[in-house]
Amino acid sequence: MESSILESVGTEIIGVMSPVSLCMLLVVLLVYSLSSSNPLSDPPIRTAANLVYIENPQDSTSQKLEGALLNALVFVVLIAIVTFLLVILYYYNFTNFLKNYMRFSAFFVLGTMGGSIFLSIVQHYSIPVDSITCFVLLFNFTVVGVLSVFSGGIPIVLRQGYMVCLGIIVAAWFTKLPEWTTWALLVALAVYDLVAVLAPGGPLKLLVELASSRDEELPALVYEARPAVSNSERNRRSGVGHLVGGVSDSGSVELQAVSRDNVDRRENRGNPEYTVVNADSFGSVEHEANDDAVEMLPLVGHLREGYGSSSGSSSEYSTVVVNRENEIVMEEEMSPLVDLMGLGEPTGRDALEDGVAASRGIKLGLGDFVFYSVLVGRAAMYDLMTVYACYLAIISGLGCTLILLSVCRQALPALPISITLGILFYFLTRLLMEPFVVGAATNLIMF
Amino acid sequence: MTVTAGIGYALLALGPSLSLFVSVISKKPFLILTVLSSTLLWLISLIILSAVWRAFLPLKSTTWWPYALLIITSVGFQEGLRVFFWKVYKRLEDMLDAYADRVSKPRLFLTDKMQIALAGGLGHGVAHAVFFCLSLLTPAFGPATFFVDKCSQIPFFLVSAFIALAFVTIHTFSMVIAFNGYAEGNKVDQYFVPVVHFVAGMLTLVNFASGGCVIGIPLLYVMAFLSLIHCGKMVWRRLTEHQIRQGNSL
Repeated sequence: MESSILESVGTEIIGVMSPVSLCMLLVVLLVYSLSSSNPLSDPPIRTAANLVYIENPQDSTSQKLEGALLNALVFVVLIAIVTFLLVILYYYNFTNFLKNYMRFSAFFVLGTMGGSIFLSIVQHYSIPVDSITCFVLLFNFTVVGVLSVFSGGIPIVLRQGYMVCLGIIVAAWFTKLPEWTTWALLVALAVYDLVAVLAPGGPLKLLVELASSRDEELPALVYEARPAVSNSERNRRSGVGHLVGGVSDSGSVELQAVSRDNVDRRENRGNPEYTVVNADSFGSVEHEANDDAVEMLPLVGHLREGYGSSSGSSSEYSTVVVNRENEIVMEEEMSPLVDLMGLGEPTGRDALEDGVAASRGIKLGLGDFVFYSVLVGRAAMYDLMTVYACYLAIISGLGCTLILLSVCRQALPALPISITLGILFYFLTRLLMEPFVVGAATNLIMF
Repeated sequence: MTVTAGIGYALLALGPSLSLFVSVISKKPFLILTVLSSTLLWLISLIILSAVWRAFLPLKSTTWWPYALLIITSVGFQEGLRVFFWKVYKRLEDMLDAYADRVSKPRLFLTDKMQIALAGGLGHGVAHAVFFCLSLLTPAFGPATFFVDKCSQIPFFLVSAFIALAFVTIHTFSMVIAFNGYAEGNKVDQYFVPVVHFVAGMLTLVNFASGGCVIGIPLLYVMAFLSLIHCGKMVWRRLTEHQIRQGNSL
């Protein structure tokens, strides 16, 4: 009996959602276990995210609002400057410098920020570890992390694991920001993301286009949802600060594929490798593009089929023509606390080599991981109910973004929809739902 | 106690759903997406309901009739939502079939359709348990516990976990029943589901009487088992009919 299509549809989406969920879960656990021990005992730390104003619980609301907005503005401007700097560096081919910078950033994040989180866990649970062991462990963890994140030949699982780790560490630091600043920052970043990726001249858009015209992967921290295909040795990613997700749609594997409009589109991109002719990428895109999101799922799910498990040997596709387009979702993230600013680089290159398509998975910038987790972590400081609501909202926003991706086939910002929904659901839950549910449940009334 | 107790309560409410999720749902990405979207739908319905009721809150905990009204509106709204969910599912099924044709795979099997319904129901059930039980559980992880006046024999968290388990069961399997009822045009099944949901909601009103939870919870479980048994019988009937039909066609 043939396997039903239920098993293949949606695999891509789940491949992205599960690490995001894992990251959020761990951040929430971290926030819970660590914040309960020393509520508010931390003096506010001054970071890039609150240069202007340090929130003080006694300040009036308007002061807080003004300060938070200023903080967010300064932070976003900083990020924009750094991103433009990156674009310039990349434009003049300082790729090695960028990569090494990203390596350093990853080392720094894993070593110092990760180390301090590790220490506070050790303290909180009174784990008996001596300082030498602790140092050796931390050093090994960091070195393996840097290697796995930036070089080839490392199992994809390890790399994905470290990506999630980086996300968790940076997000855990962000949750130490004061409440108003966090909200203002999230909104500002979502807006910035939207502009940077979609507006003409936006830095992330420039980066993506530059990368795809050079047919190489940008150095940026990106989570790849599916096993990477062993393409030519590319710079994998780097950039601590940013995340970009490139999504490539691998085309469907149909023998008589009808060449669709995307063939032209590819040709426009000027990639030489398009010798392959018919590919029908996403045969279904056309099909009712206006349907609602749920209905689009098959399209995205479709991607999966094109590739064999991991290192896609090119021969697999020899008879089949596959089209693919890379799409890049970008997000940027920055790890502001430290002076690393985000460098978002999208990796969008077309992976057609010699007429063989190596398909690539959906990519999600680390920044998305971080800011989703920051939102959930902030929600965790209020109540579990808001955590669930925010989680569902973010995941559904991510789902919508992925579906849009399969429709638009260009790099999309992953933050705006999710963050908007997340914030909306947070306040709806907090203001409306909680009194209702608590009122009913404490009287043991349920339905 | 403390952390152990908290985890225990959570597993009591969600353990069966968890095993169902691991054994059936988690292997098929599409079903996971169905669970998530149905959970989201339920959350949205809860938010809409609470927005409507927000003006009247807090209700006095001495009179029971406002709560009865609350349950009537909520159940009515959620049953309407179920019909909407069915309509969406119907379109989705057509899309999936069309997609399956295109990639030359078999169309959805009967069991696939039932699994989708199960996933949809599980989403509703899990959302119920999460918002009515799990999210109130935070204090249970601390060193104390909490008792409600009207049900002073059992800790509040334990009671709410029991109730949540019953509702998870009802929600999960009544979605299967309802989808089959709609698909076959079977009126009995179509009305069975709202009635069970409504009666179960009304049974929680018994908790208003002092010590009422001792009676109310067993009655609630009667409803849960009723829908479980009904669902089991119906699935069995459809599967055997399906096999016979396939046998004839061969």
